[in-house]
Amino acid sequence: MLDGILVGLSTAASPLNILMVAVGCFAGTFIGMLPGLGPISAIALMIPITYGFDPATGLILMAGVYYGAIFGGSTSSILINAPGVAGTVATAFDGYPLAKQGHAGKALAIAAYSSFSGGTIAAIFLLIAAPSLAVVSLAFQSTDYFALMVLGLTAVAAFAGRGKVLKALLMTVLGLMLSTVGTDQTLGMQRFTFGMLDLIDGISFLLLAMATFALSEALMSVLKPKTAADIQREKEANANLGSMKLSSAEVKDIAPVVGRSSILGFLVGVLPGAGATIASFLAYGMEQRLAGPDKGKEFGKGSIRGLAAPETANNAACSGSFVPLLTLGIPGSGTTAIMLGALISYGIQPGPRLFVENPEVFWSVIISMYLGNVILLVLNLPLIPYIARVLALPHTVLVPLILFFSLIGVYFVSFNTFDIQLMVIFAIAAVVLRLLDMPMAPMLLGFILGGMMEENLRRALIINNDSWSFLWERPLTLSILVIAALVLVAPMISPLIGRSLAGRREDAGEGG
Amino acid sequence: MLTRDRLGALLMLVFSLGYGVMIFDIPLLPFQANQAFTARTMPQALSVLGIVLSLALLLRPVSAAETNEEAAWRQAMRQLLRPTPADEEGRRTHPLVRVALLCALMVVYGLTVRPFGFLLSTTVFLAGGMFVLGERRLWLLLGVSIAVTLFFWVLMTQFLGVYIAPLPQVLGR
Repeated sequence: MLDGILVGLSTAASPLNILMVAVGCFAGTFIGMLPGLGPISAIALMIPITYGFDPATGLILMAGVYYGAIFGGSTSSILINAPGVAGTVATAFDGYPLAKQGHAGKALAIAAYSSFSGGTIAAIFLLIAAPSLAVVSLAFQSTDYFALMVLGLTAVAAFAGRGKVLKALLMTVLGLMLSTVGTDQTLGMQRFTFGMLDLIDGISFLLLAMATFALSEALMSVLKPKTAADIQREKEANANLGSMKLSSAEVKDIAPVVGRSSILGFLVGVLPGAGATIASFLAYGMEQRLAGPDKGKEFGKGSIRGLAAPETANNAACSGSFVPLLTLGIPGSGTTAIMLGALISYGIQPGPRLFVENPEVFWSVIISMYLGNVILLVLNLPLIPYIARVLALPHTVLVPLILFFSLIGVYFVSFNTFDIQLMVIFAIAAVVLRLLDMPMAPMLLGFILGGMMEENLRRALIINNDSWSFLWERPLTLSILVIAALVLVAPMISPLIGRSLAGRREDAGEGG
Repeated sequence: MLTRDRLGALLMLVFSLGYGVMIFDIPLLPFQANQAFTARTMPQALSVLGIVLSLALLLRPVSAAETNEEAAWRQAMRQLLRPTPADEEGRRTHPLVRVALLCALMVVYGLTVRPFGFLLSTTVFLAGGMFVLGERRLWLLLGVSIAVTLFFWVLMTQFLGVYIAPLPQVLGR
């Protein structure tokens, strides 16, 4: 492990890679701050640039963008109550009230320190967990991989939130369907190409990600124009941020919160399907309960604990979500899914072999997370008052620029103008689906995992002489599939159980 | 009642059915007919899954809480179809028309980027996009679009080594 850390350190500490972490954090903060644009869009916009670099540098840049985007999302949550990222919605609960009370600077500083601590603590966990899991996962076979992918996809749907499980599942299936377009990988048959040469290679994941995230998010922002109140809030946000200093009592108050939320965030991040958003809400809820009746009442009105908890947890979860990506090659969230897509297009197959075959990629990403956190703290925090001006940039200029960067990012990879037309079609479809409140991240995850899932299933069948019995005969595969079924069924039956328990309690109450 | 969930489910049902029908167009070689896994297997499973899930979402009963949410959503959708209140300069805008125009602009950009060259088509696209979104200051329209186009072209061709034809095809590039 020490050798690996040294390899990672020497790769990550090269001047180019340090520059990339800094550029990534900065660009991520900038994009993440724009309301409506999340880390998936931020990373997608960066991918065409990363094609010019070696895989380790590219992934380091994307990891920096990921952190930056989450931090940028926190800034817009705190300053204008408009989270750019779902993972920072909980940040706005107490961050915005603090900013309204004139403590915007302090709130931003707490967000930065908490993010730094959460990210750093989680990176240490990652350093320990990832290699151990990578060693274990070397024993995995295609059947287990197929089962793991089923688990990843069902978990994303299961964690989608109440009433959204079915919709998330449907979107996952849509993503899987889109992944079947093109030439079938083993038999060479054309599927759903309508006889078009441009579709023979299938739909590029970058095209789909850009169209359904960056493009459609930009178009959605046009559909929801800013109100006078929004513009006023943005003006006020830039007027005065106040002091960024924290008192020692405040530091003491949030220190245990940061510790607990880091662990919780990391663990939630490791779970497939659960990402920064769930981690931040869980940490917020946990701290509210732990704070006791007096301090708990302050939550939602500008509590510094209520701000530190989700901020720590969302960054810790970002690090945690790299564990399944780096060790199993299975993304736990939409954001890591897009990184997986990028890795595959570099010709690198993430999974247990990554640890053996490309140790420099594996370790340098982990090491660059420390660097990323330091840069966020040292570079971004002092620059926040200046970066925050991006919020005041006219929408009329920003939206065409985002559209341009999205289109040209895809065009410069393929030099095929058909891709631009296809992007417009996907973007319009994505806008319609977004208006119908259909979640897009499961679709992207399904699309990226679709090809691998089919390949693993087919390989498993070949190994087992065309028999499906491996699904129940191999204990590891069966266990993973059972977990997947449980994960899927749990949110559907838990309200029923809750209702029946409540009914019983009522009966008992009436009886007594 | 046709709620937004049901509308989404209906769309997905139609898509899954269409997808299912198109599976028959996937060619199969004679020896593959009896194999456990062919190029059609995964699409068939997905099509069935898509139909079952869409039907489940379509037929799911709507709870009272969802009815309230639904009303708010309908209100928001109706708002989309109407022009926004007049801004400081007395202009009323239509967000849906703007999105449609931006999409049309993107399609035109895709059609013109080769024949008209990168510099001209990109400048027109950016300036057009800003114009559609209500920007009327000429110096900003032209200044930003020309500066961004030139900066990007220099960055790509000079620093990242990607060749992009800058001029229209008629000028021999």
